Amino acid sequence: MVYQGLASKFSSLMLFAVVDFVSSDLEDVAQKCSLSYKALVAVRRVLLAQFSAFPANGADLYEELKSSTAILSTGIPSLDKLLDSGLYTGEVTELMGAPGSGKTQVCLSIAASMSLGLKQHVLFLDSTGGFTASRLYQMLQAQAEDEEEQLEALQRVQVTRVFDVYEMLRALQELRDSLSQQVTNQVTRDSSAGPLKPALGRSWSFVPSTRVLLQSKEATWEKTNTQRVASLAKSPRQPTGIQVVLDVGSGGAQELSPVTPTQGL
Amino acid sequence: LAAGFGRAELLARLEGRSSLKNLEPYLFAEEGFPVHGDVVEFHGPEGTGKTEMLYHLIARCILPKSGGGLEVEVMFIDTDYHFDMLRLVTILEHRLAQSTEEMIKQCLGKLFLVNCNSSTQLLLTLYSLENMFCTHPSLCLLVLDSISAFYWIDRSNGGESFNLQEMNLKKCAEFLEKLVREYHLALFATTQTIMQKSTSSAESSFSLKLQHETDTDYRPYLCKSWQQMVTHRIFFSKQSNSGNSKAFSVISCHIQKKHVVKRSFSIAECGVQF
Repeated sequence: MVYQGLASKFSSLMLFAVVDFVSSDLEDVAQKCSLSYKALVAVRRVLLAQFSAFPANGADLYEELKSSTAILSTGIPSLDKLLDSGLYTGEVTELMGAPGSGKTQVCLSIAASMSLGLKQHVLFLDSTGGFTASRLYQMLQAQAEDEEEQLEALQRVQVTRVFDVYEMLRALQELRDSLSQQVTNQVTRDSSAGPLKPALGRSWSFVPSTRVLLQSKEATWEKTNTQRVASLAKSPRQPTGIQVVLDVGSGGAQELSPVTPTQGL
Repeated sequence: LAAGFGRAELLARLEGRSSLKNLEPYLFAEEGFPVHGDVVEFHGPEGTGKTEMLYHLIARCILPKSGGGLEVEVMFIDTDYHFDMLRLVTILEHRLAQSTEEMIKQCLGKLFLVNCNSSTQLLLTLYSLENMFCTHPSLCLLVLDSISAFYWIDRSNGGESFNLQEMNLKKCAEFLEKLVREYHLALFATTQTIMQKSTSSAESSFSLKLQHETDTDYRPYLCKSWQQMVTHRIFFSKQSNSGNSKAFSVISCHIQKKHVVKRSFSIAECGVQF
């Protein structure tokens, strides 16, 4: 109750925001507002406790991480090898590639595998309209025989269509638990002969911890090409440049296997 | 003085903070650095080893003297949310002759981590951290990864006024300078290369000379208060020739003495190796 009426006194001194108050000379303020210095120091302490971040000790953090971090297998052993065992919780992994390079197929395959095999809930944010439930179901059918299992797995995948940044932010705000995030991105080049780099510019490029580039293998004109090369472009744990080959056929993204006729992607 | 006040703490404070001179000699153009009061900026595009180098320095600080460390405490302010504890633990395990869980935890006990999600929160956090520097005399190293994280957000929040856009970072820089000076710390901060190399002749003569000599992709964009307090600027880049076994390089500049030096390093499972 001591603090009521302070706002008007402070505004006369141009102290509008918490930052202004906390960085001002309290002795000066005490004099000009005829308030006790001790009371102001107490207010400052409360404001700082409420609005500043609290430091954690490394040992405590390590203990917490040991029990809460998980490495989620993507269901594709060769991709897991590229990612050093799988997708790490607490990190953003970026999948980049030209249109048709297989990004959405890989995402669907990972969603199917995690929902079915790891029994995890998956939130699929679709901004391209590329998500089709029937394709996901097709992949689940290839991975499990039992229809009930397939339907349960379908239920664990939640799809949200987002068409602007604000919708996406809102969808993300609703999640609070620790999770692993995977995003897809387009590619661009600096010049016609330059190396491929992710779109969205330099400011975005710092955000993901891991980046995988998807490219089509050399096409043969006889059959539909479902093979893709995945190479590691950025990683906090492994040397870059490692490559594996994936097949984005009807059963979902898999390691390279004899090509089977697809029923249409 | 309160009776509960540790005599050892008092002595430590009177003796001053430990020397950081042998932290990593390869990183500096001159011998005998960093000293207390130094502000070192790591600048470079992504994937060039800045955060790895920070792990290397942190390991050097928190390892016990028997393990080749300096046994000092480190405060790590993370605005990028990229800090990888498991990676740091891997590096510590490689460097300790006998690494047990107990020893790892003892080392990690000397590290303090705090996350900030805006420049306002960063400023307020710095104010409340002042108390920690007061009560922890063995806290000599302050790391900020990165100081440029909120650049675009601040610019968009500041509206039309350039002053308003820079205000938070300016206050942070000024307060950091106060902390470094009063508590005899060394500050290491990373900045990202988010701007293209400038071709305008309006740049200061120093940065032009530097670019010409060392071909660094550097264009200063943070506020003047920060530019002026940096004592060492270290540019990180990936080596272009793939035949070289050392994939990364640093160009280290002592700002005042204008002394520049270039060194190469590689990153292995055990961390940075010069």
